[in-house]
Amino acid sequence: MTPTHFTISSAFLLGMMGLAFHRTHLLSALLCLEAMMLALFIALSLWSLQLDATGCSTAPMLMLAFSACEASAGLALLVATARTHGTGHMQALNLLQC
Amino acid sequence: MAYIMLTLLIGMVLGVISVASNPSPYFAALGLVLVAGVGCVVLMGHGGSFLSLVLFLIYLGGMLVVFAYCAALAAEPYPEAWGEWSVLGSVLGYLLLVVGAGSWFWGGWYEGMWVPVDELIEFSVVVADSGGVALMYSLGGGLLVVSAWVLLLTLLVVLELTRGLARGALRAV
Repeated sequence: MTPTHFTISSAFLLGMMGLAFHRTHLLSALLCLEAMMLALFIALSLWSLQLDATGCSTAPMLMLAFSACEASAGLALLVATARTHGTGHMQALNLLQC
Repeated sequence: MAYIMLTLLIGMVLGVISVASNPSPYFAALGLVLVAGVGCVVLMGHGGSFLSLVLFLIYLGGMLVVFAYCAALAAEPYPEAWGEWSVLGSVLGYLLLVVGAGSWFWGGWYEGMWVPVDELIEFSVVVADSGGVALMYSLGGGLLVVSAWVLLLTLLVVLELTRGLARGALRAV
């Protein structure tokens, strides 16, 4: 595994672990999701740059557009959570807790 | 150049660790800005200056600014930075994990594999990554229309989510 490949893979996996494990605030979970999207963008761009395959450079652009959609939907959910429960903490989201 | 790329890649991993280690969202957004900036310089080192510019403009200047404004929802009197023991423990754990995983691979890393050598193989008029993105407007026009539709749909989704008055996801107001 080349060092660049190792770096972007570990950036993605670290973001995923940050999203999955113990969080206090919903916003910091959304920021970890954004870090995953950033690692994916850099991975797709480096793919097209290292293989000299210029046709593949549309993939990171479209991925950025869809990731913007996802970020805005996540932030709307955060705002709705904060205005319903009074706080953005993950402990407030306990309706489905057994 | 290999040392510059080494520093940038280490900076990227440290930035993602600083986001993933659960500090207060103010500091996590700062760490994400660092990751995006360093990632842009990595892309520039491989010859992708247009994609790096797009990342800076759209990601940092568009999305992360909105995240920074939403960080006002996370206001607390004593925000946890990376000096708190709970956050520092996560940082050290993730660092150990990355170094442990890297120790599997760094035996086979040699000097020549950090940056590609042939950015400009032949003489050309069109820059590689900008020319590729231009394909999005010609052959890839269908996906362009689809993503424009998706963006419009997302706007409607966001407006519906935050509508309030007992319709949508807002109950209290």
